[in-house]
Amino acid sequence: MQIPIIITSVAGILMILEYFFPMPDAVTGFNVTLRSFVAIISAAALILGTVVLSIFHVRKVGERKSEWMYSIVYVVSFVATALLGLGSVRNEIFLWIYSNMTSPIGAALYSLTAFYITSAAYRVFRARNWSAGVLLVCSFIVLLMLIPIGAILLPPVVPIGSWLRNYPSGAGFRGMIIGTSLGVMGLGVRVFAGRQKEHLGIREEKVGEQ
Amino acid sequence: MSIVIQGRVVGLLALLLIVGSILYYMRQAYSGKIPKLRRLSAVDVIDEILGRCVEMGRPAYYLMDNVVMNNPSVLAPTVAAFQILSYTARSAARLGAKIFVPVVQGLAYTIAAEVVEEAYMAEGKIQDLNLPETVMYLPDGADRMYIINHMWSEQMAGAFFLGSWYHKAVIFTENAARVGAMMLGGTDTTHNIPFLVAICDYSIIGEELYALGAYLSEDATQASSLAGQDVGKFIALLLIILGSILATVGIDITSMLSM
Repeated sequence: MQIPIIITSVAGILMILEYFFPMPDAVTGFNVTLRSFVAIISAAALILGTVVLSIFHVRKVGERKSEWMYSIVYVVSFVATALLGLGSVRNEIFLWIYSNMTSPIGAALYSLTAFYITSAAYRVFRARNWSAGVLLVCSFIVLLMLIPIGAILLPPVVPIGSWLRNYPSGAGFRGMIIGTSLGVMGLGVRVFAGRQKEHLGIREEKVGEQ
Repeated sequence: MSIVIQGRVVGLLALLLIVGSILYYMRQAYSGKIPKLRRLSAVDVIDEILGRCVEMGRPAYYLMDNVVMNNPSVLAPTVAAFQILSYTARSAARLGAKIFVPVVQGLAYTIAAEVVEEAYMAEGKIQDLNLPETVMYLPDGADRMYIINHMWSEQMAGAFFLGSWYHKAVIFTENAARVGAMMLGGTDTTHNIPFLVAICDYSIIGEELYALGAYLSEDATQASSLAGQDVGKFIALLLIILGSILATVGIDITSMLSM
């Protein structure tokens, strides 16, 4: 079990060294190859997910569980797309499915965010207390600044809005970024030291160590 | 040719200092001096949410959003989310609350399934666990519609939004709020923290997610790592104050930082 940990540590340390120190071309080239491995390994993880999902839906159809008919849609879509894609990803029908079904469905789902942000804003921007009132006023100024008509109707919102974004908001965000960056550094040390193995799919029960 | 690439000397020094601190505290921890972690109020919130689910006879959702574990910035919050899941699943097993844990990535799915199974076994309630229904694999993208529909059909009474959250944060939390679920949210993705803070009943911000994970996992390595990270925070604080003073009195420090 030590080999995957050693590979992780060596690969990680090489990347860090390349960032800080001038390295020979051989090391830089090796690092570029290592980075391309990431995409390939990520794709392999998809296989496991696809198998699990397919088993779930096939079972659901077999056992006639509630809403089993939707699982038929999954199975048929999956088999048809997979067969076409395995034949050739340049296949016209496969490309048609991607361009006219997968891609627009994805875009439509993503666009839902806009509506939920609006209703979330309504929920949040209510002056229930003093601090919520400050939030309401600040957000109103920034929103006015961001819309074209805001600056025409009320020109002072531009400098005030910019100040709010650059200073109070910027300072808060930087604090959070410092904290999370330190967290990532801590994780890096634990991974390189072989004390954190979740990225390898290994999880050790640690309760009681403390 | 310089030994260190131009403009990266300060970064290298900071890295060495912080990594050194983390390693020092880890060494201390292995010799028995484990840093004490403050108990976060979110620990009690987990039990409160699950208790509410039991009282109402409705399930809870444990969502982690992005769990692509080959990305270092996603791995850190995901690991913390797994540690919190372990505690949450144990509490759910003990209290008899039903939880759903949808996952959108293969590797994370296996870990989540293992975490939940171990938790139920630890509580001696493995007979109550239907693993394929509790930990679900959903394809990324399709998960949005499935989870929203499931939230409404099952009338979720509680929801946890912990991990690396992106645009789905607002979609899921808003639906959970409409269903009437009590929510705990926490992420380190800065642009989504406001949504979780605004919509969730309880929230943990940024690095608190790691602290909660470390506290609940009772892991000496995690606790010592947090202590080392605190040294980094003190250094950052000191540099911010020093930089503000120098900039105020008119001393240019940009050339020093770009060494």
